[in-house]
This record gives sequence, structure tokens and C-alpha cells, in this order.
Amino acid sequence: MVIVMSSRKLQVERSLILFYGVASFVILFILVPIISLFLFFNYNVLIKIFHTPILISELKSAFITTFEAAVLSTCILVVIGVPVAYVLARREFKAKPIIEAIIDMPFVVPHPVAGIMLLTAFGSRGLIPVGIEDTFWGVVSVMLFVSAPLFIDTVKLGFMSIDVSIEHVARSLGASFYRTFFTILLPLCSRSIVAGIILALARSLSEVGALLVLAYFPKTVNILILEWLDTLGLPYAIAVSCLYLIIIFIMFIALRVITRSYVVY
Amino acid sequence: MLYIENLYIKVKDLEIRVESLLISKGTYAILLGPSGVGKTMLLNAIAGFVKPLSGRIVIDNEDVTDKPPEKRGIGIVPQNFALFPHMTVFDNIAFCLKLRKLPKDEIRRRVLEIAKFLEIEHLLNRRPSTLSAGEAQRVALARAIVSEPRLLLLDEPLSNIDPERKYKAIELLRRVVKNRGLTVLHVTHDISEAFALGDYVIYMRDGRIVFQGSVEMFAVSDLARPYIDLIEGALSRYRVIRGVESI
Repeated sequence: MVIVMSSRKLQVERSLILFYGVASFVILFILVPIISLFLFFNYNVLIKIFHTPILISELKSAFITTFEAAVLSTCILVVIGVPVAYVLARREFKAKPIIEAIIDMPFVVPHPVAGIMLLTAFGSRGLIPVGIEDTFWGVVSVMLFVSAPLFIDTVKLGFMSIDVSIEHVARSLGASFYRTFFTILLPLCSRSIVAGIILALARSLSEVGALLVLAYFPKTVNILILEWLDTLGLPYAIAVSCLYLIIIFIMFIALRVITRSYVVY
Repeated sequence: MLYIENLYIKVKDLEIRVESLLISKGTYAILLGPSGVGKTMLLNAIAGFVKPLSGRIVIDNEDVTDKPPEKRGIGIVPQNFALFPHMTVFDNIAFCLKLRKLPKDEIRRRVLEIAKFLEIEHLLNRRPSTLSAGEAQRVALARAIVSEPRLLLLDEPLSNIDPERKYKAIELLRRVVKNRGLTVLHVTHDISEAFALGDYVIYMRDGRIVFQGSVEMFAVSDLARPYIDLIEGALSRYRVIRGVESI
């Protein structure tokens, strides 16, 4: 019996060799650039940055702008994205495919084009002349624009996975729509909301193309890396990149740990 | 009491027309019919989740047609029981009592009372994911009943129960409903459930009610003829539960 089982297991393992091979290639393809970035990291360059007032001030301001804008855009997205995701998950209406396509647009629009679109919409001479170019709100708008589909689609799938009869039972037991939404649906969707927050933050922190067009200033870390690559050289760009990666990595680990207690189901 | 008059519902391609339906107080009514004829849709309209295009729904002499689901005084036990997975069994049962802002002691007393009646006291601290189908059915029933509904809607509540345990589940349903004097509308496509539990049978076909009457009348109707073996089997099997010797 044991021999039969182990030989069967071996057979299964053997047939998965191709998959293991592909998986190893993918992992290496991602891991090698990360390792090589840190191998080329020069500690002395970082020390030099920290001891040059103009550079450290620029770096500090870029980090603050980036994280403030990313957190703010994600907060706005949670407030406006959760209701949109619920409606798309639960309601059927004629315009739904069109609305879904509009929400997914930032996925397919090239990033510089997204920047131009926002500029023509909300720039000083735009359709709605708010004047967001080269402002902090310009950065927030770009981040909101590019991360919205990721967040909404993730949360929508979360709502879709909740059986509609759970909602019906809660309502029949006397809970109003909003009571049901906050005490039943939101807790059951919390895992998807957290996943959406992480994806939205990640997307916001990695954006550069649209920012180059709409909001070069105040500089975000990505813009600063590009600028230093051009003006100070590769070692400086590598130093900031490594620092940025480490901070993002710590931030996402912390976020997962903190939100674990809020994920109730 | 449930009274429906000139109800017309249309959702996508499914149309339902109910000219008149009356279920008296304390009656156990069975809504029978093949799959896809609109039984669940009718249940959803009664519960307030589907808006009828015309007609009236009256529960205990109150017109609830335009009332939201939470104001209708209806208890629901769906096919999958729909227990709140992030709450314990106690919190599931206490959900409606907490909404009514009852004192904590009162909530505890009422939950324990219903749990004792349904023999689920030992499950109160468990999560729904750890329950068997039979246990989940009892918890769902407890949660619906503790709200003291004017009408209890059961949507195929026995379809997830193993055939061996079905007898016990039917016995329990019958006991609970009779003990509390509840008015029940039980949706099923299983004709044997109708004869095990029902006082009154409503038969739907193509979105219309083609029969409504006592279970005895249904047994001798043309609609029951193809199922005569099933009916005889159900009658002999559930005779003790129904507490009758002959129908």
C-alpha cells in the first residue's frame, strides 16, 4: 500500500517537473534584478547623500510627498471605491458593461497618455480648470486614477463571493441596508478590501509615467530616481532605489500584520 | 396570514402572475413545482427583495407591498442556511435581538431558550464553518424563529440534508412550527416533503399557480398522479411525524 502510494506520488511529482521548471524561471527572473540592484548598491553613496544637505532635503521631501499622496489617494479610493464595487457586484443594469469598461480604462491607457488626459481634464486650461498640474493634488489625482481599477475590481470580486442570501437573511431579520452593509458585508469583504488597499498602494508607489506629464513637482521618489540617474549618475539612483524598496517592503509587511486583526473572515 | 392579490413580477425572461393566494394563520403551506418555474422568485417578492410590477402582498392584515424587507416581519431559512460566517452561533441567533437593542440579559435568555428547544446549546460558541448541514439547519431555524416572524419562508431547507438525516430534520421542522404556531411557506420541488410537512399545497407551473388546496385534495388531484408512488412512500414514512393515521 505504502509502495503503491509513494510510486503514485512520484508519478505526480514527475509530471509536474515542467511546471516546477517554469516556476523556477519566473522566480529567478524576478529575483535576479532585485539581487543585482542590491549587489550594485554602494553604501558610501548613501552616506554621501545623507551628508549633503541639499540632497537629503530633496530625498526627504520626495519620500514625504510620495507616501502622503499614496496613502491619501488610497484612503479616497476606499471611501469612493467600496460603494462602486458593491453596486457593480450586486446590481444588473444596461449601462453596467460600459461603466465597467470605463473603470478599467486606466489599465489599458499608456501612463503618459493618462497624464495628458488628466492635464486636459483638470489642468489650468483644462475642461474643468482646477489647475492641478505640478501640485500635490496633481500627484494624488494621478495615483487615484491609475490605482482605481485595481482596487475596485478586487473589492468587486470580494462582494461577488458573498452569497446574496446572507444579505437577504440579515435584511429580513430587521437590519436596514446600511446596517447590513456595515455589519455583515464589509466584515465578510475585509480580506478583499485589504488586498485592494495593498494593490492600490503598490500601484500608486510605482507610478511615474503620468507624473512626468502632470506633476513633475512636487517630486516623488520615482521622479527623483529618474532625475538623479540623469544628473548624478547610476550609483545615486541605485542608492535611492534600494532605500525605497526596503521602506516599501517593510511598509507592506507591517500593513499585512496590522490588517490581519481587521480581517474577520 | 399571507394574502397575495393580482401580483405580477417580471425579472428578465421570468414572469410570475398570482391572481389570488391565501395562507391562513398557523398553516404550513408547501409551494411545489418543477425547478425554474419561479418559486424562489415569488418567495423573494414576498420577502421584499423583488419589486412586483403590480398587485398586493398582505401579511397579517398589513399591506407590505411597498415596505422594505426589514419592516415585513418575515423570517427566512434559505437553501444554504446563509449563516453569518464571521459570527458565532450565539451571535447569529442574537443578531435580530441586538438590532432591537434588547438588554443583554434578555438577549441571552432568549437565545438560550431557543437553543435548548432546538438542542443546539452545545454549538453556541462554534463558528458556522464547523457545523454539519443538520446543525446549520437548526441554527438557521433558531435565528429565524427568535425574531418571532409573522411569516416563515423556507427555501428548500432540506435539500442539503443527507437522506438518512432527513427524517429527523423533518420531524424537527414539524415540531418547531406546530409548537410556535407559525405560518410557513416552504418552497420545494420534492413532493414527499409536501406530504411530510404540509397542511396546504400550492403548485406552480410556468410562473402561475395551477393548484392551491389542502394536502388531501392535492393527493387526489391529477397533478399528484405521476408521483403516486412517492406520495404513498412519504405518507407511510412520515405518518408518525404528521400525527395522523390516514389521509
